[in-house]
Amino acid sequence: MGAPTIPAFVRGETVWDDPVAFGGTGEACAFRAPDPVALLDRLPLTDPLRMRDLAEITTSDVVDYLAELGPRLRLSVNGFLREALEHSAAWSDMTPEVLAACYEQLPSLFTPEAVRAVAEGTVGARFLDGWQEVASPGGGTAAVRAVGARAVHVIAGNSPIIAAITIIRNALVRGDAVIKTPANDPLTAVAVARTMAETAPGHPLTRHLAVAYWKGGNAAVEDRLYQPGNIDKIVAWGGLASVRHVTRYIQPGVELVTLDPKLSATIVGAEAFADEASMAETARLAAVDVGALNQLGCFNARVVHVVTGLDAAGLERAERWGELLHREILRLPAAVSTPARWFDPELRASLRALRTSPDWYRVIGGHDDEGAVVVSRVAEPVDFHTALSGRVANVVPVASPRDALKAMNAYTQTVGVYPESLKRRLRDLLPLYGVQRLVSLGYATRFRPDVPQDAMEPVRRMVKWIVDESCSPGDVHPLGHLDRRAEPWGRS
Amino acid sequence: MITGPDVRLFADDPMEFFGGSRHAMHTMPPHDLAALQLAALRLRFTELRDRLPVLRAMADEQGIDGITRLDDAAPLLFPHTIYKSYPASLLLEGRFDRLTTWLSRLVTVDLSGLDVSGCDSIDGWLDLLDGRTELRLAHSSGTSGTMSFIPHTREQYTRLYDIVRLEVLPGPERSGERLDVVWPGFRTGRSGIDRHAAAMAERIAGSPDRFHSAHPGPLSADVMFLAARLRAAAARGEAGRMEIPATLRERRAEFEEAQRAAAAGMGRYVEELAERLAGRRVVSLSLWATYHEMAAAGLVRGIEGLFAPDSVIFPGGGAKGTALPADWAGDVERFAGVPALRYCYAMAEVIALNLICPRGRYHIEPWVVLYVLDPDTGAPLPREGTRTGRAAFFDLLADVCWGGFVSGDEVTVDWSPCGCGRTTPHLSMDIGRYSDRRGDDKITCAATPEALNDALDFLNGALL
Repeated sequence: MGAPTIPAFVRGETVWDDPVAFGGTGEACAFRAPDPVALLDRLPLTDPLRMRDLAEITTSDVVDYLAELGPRLRLSVNGFLREALEHSAAWSDMTPEVLAACYEQLPSLFTPEAVRAVAEGTVGARFLDGWQEVASPGGGTAAVRAVGARAVHVIAGNSPIIAAITIIRNALVRGDAVIKTPANDPLTAVAVARTMAETAPGHPLTRHLAVAYWKGGNAAVEDRLYQPGNIDKIVAWGGLASVRHVTRYIQPGVELVTLDPKLSATIVGAEAFADEASMAETARLAAVDVGALNQLGCFNARVVHVVTGLDAAGLERAERWGELLHREILRLPAAVSTPARWFDPELRASLRALRTSPDWYRVIGGHDDEGAVVVSRVAEPVDFHTALSGRVANVVPVASPRDALKAMNAYTQTVGVYPESLKRRLRDLLPLYGVQRLVSLGYATRFRPDVPQDAMEPVRRMVKWIVDESCSPGDVHPLGHLDRRAEPWGRS
Repeated sequence: MITGPDVRLFADDPMEFFGGSRHAMHTMPPHDLAALQLAALRLRFTELRDRLPVLRAMADEQGIDGITRLDDAAPLLFPHTIYKSYPASLLLEGRFDRLTTWLSRLVTVDLSGLDVSGCDSIDGWLDLLDGRTELRLAHSSGTSGTMSFIPHTREQYTRLYDIVRLEVLPGPERSGERLDVVWPGFRTGRSGIDRHAAAMAERIAGSPDRFHSAHPGPLSADVMFLAARLRAAAARGEAGRMEIPATLRERRAEFEEAQRAAAAGMGRYVEELAERLAGRRVVSLSLWATYHEMAAAGLVRGIEGLFAPDSVIFPGGGAKGTALPADWAGDVERFAGVPALRYCYAMAEVIALNLICPRGRYHIEPWVVLYVLDPDTGAPLPREGTRTGRAAFFDLLADVCWGGFVSGDEVTVDWSPCGCGRTTPHLSMDIGRYSDRRGDDKITCAATPEALNDALDFLNGALL
């Protein structure tokens, strides 16, 4: 099977012109896609006045549009997505089972309930649909409106949900989006866009979307595209490498919104070790946080702090719980988690090294790259904890939940906590260490697009906030804010 | 016919075995060399297996009782993480007793009587080991938050530089001769490359006044470790939470001196060299980037053709992710006045320089068994033809520790005899790093100047 050719999508039109090879190693390329330089004239929206058609569209229209699109994104009826799945081995780190399960999830993101929740939970439909009066304690009146902007979205590809949610967000804010697809998922965004063109050809929401692949940092593309004349914002996901390219182009008139790479952790309180049933239950929940989506997400657990204490009995509990965790990871259904498609050889070597150091570490499993649990015998994570992947967790025994805080920092996105009472106790403290999201144990990978993300509100930053202020000399003196002793404003 | 005493002599003292001939070392028929290497590898495995707990644990884990082919040892080649397989807190909290216990599992040297109660710094611990044992640990830069300690012995470095002498002063009639050594770094230190300084000073320069370093002071392991931690902490937004140990605060003057030295750059050094060594024959070993910096400083001052043309410059370490200009080597040759550089392919874990030949190929020294592994599975690729994969080595000179090591380097080997006449396996100069794709901790034999400066700036700021 040769490398697939992936079209670009330019404002309603599928483009196959001038395919060139991308990705892969050696002789073989991963896929072909239209030469991005040849697309440059059509990719951005150079004239912002052409966004006028979006102003007529209400949130209800968007909800209806996406509600019609959603059912057509079912894997059983969508040939574009099935094609993406078929070719995924050429680029995705996900196994076909897990990727298929992610695709099965897509329609649920497009339901009216889900879309309304995002609209209300992020910007608020009333700001998107018209001018919203706000309080004016100093007199006069003011109204605010959230207006769509022209943005390039440099998206991540570890999950196809990211492509879908980007398209939903852009539709909701009535923005004009150029999605730069990643090499590990070059097809999902195009597949959704092509389905939009089939569902609602010519619709403004279909025409204010472009999707293309170019290699991040390709100056021949980015020097020309990332200009204030073309775009207002760049929303960049993922690794430092991609953001580093982008920062070159930040200047007045181009705003950068970064969704930085993060890692996540877990704190399992002493209550989990009170009896066998609690140990089994918490190990099962933690296994979901570690293993779901093959531990490819930023929200997946990697270091699991367990409040077992560090005496002999505590270490024994931690090891026994680690064994349970390993067993539960292997028991996850294939649609949720499988052994990694590619197990990091560096990590495999690190596990080999720790097996020779039984004074400080116990390595459970991992002989067949199926996933492993490293139990530390001191209260500190392994030094390669940022490289944990392929369903490998590090269980770190601590004497108190507070000892786990030392390991948290600005890169810590999610912390799964058990029990709830401990989460409540920690929730004012964890943000001071950099933590951005707390969840009940077992729910770290349940992504909610209707709440803030990474300690900020990316959707609010995707719009331009415009104000309209009204005053008249009758109620607000024109000089009043400058000169408190100004003469009364009279007719001259 | 290989006899037992032959094998031991080959493994322990290759210079003697090959009759002091570099030519002999690199022209043995490949089949004979492989047989000799296998016999020596079996000797090391037999002698070390039950005396090195780490090796025994790995052999048990892999179910390996004996070695009948060179490839049988591939699963026993140590990953680089072996040398830092201790909790970082031992280092942060100065638990040198427990670090010594950890180290004792990697070496046959008896460390049970070593009293480390007086050690309050990494430098202090390494001082003690240097003074009381034959061990010479080479430490890494510690960029991952943990510092690697790679055990070697004084004897290994001495034997290496006796062989390097053959390169620069061939023939027994020159055995008493000494040469000026140009060392563009700190005078002493214990990082991978700095361990070479002492051996070069002793075996090549012979006396302190013939050893010309850029900075007079030692390069402190504590400063390097602190520098690496500070950079990591700053990147994670934790710098404010870091505590500077009192033992380091007390050494402020020393750090400030080091900072001044690092900030001064190469200008003063090249001027001194021009005054003292113009026209003299010198030997020098350093990193590509260091030589580039040195040549730039020299050329801008109008210094060209500085040394005698038969001087020997050994650049090693590759570009290490720095963007060197395309003609950097030409600048170094012009500055130094040598017709060509003698590149070496060396690393902290393996005691060999693996010098380049006139055909531009790195030749693996005969006491080092080369493995080229599948980068994903770690399985050895056939020892024939041309192969690209992950380089791994077994250093047969290692006699108190295990010489097997898997590098992070992507190499292309040609197992067939080289056009230069040598028969040892030879590598292309195009060497990549697998970790560059992942940004993982790199074992490097030198600290970056920026890392040092950051640490020293921070220290001075925190102390004011």
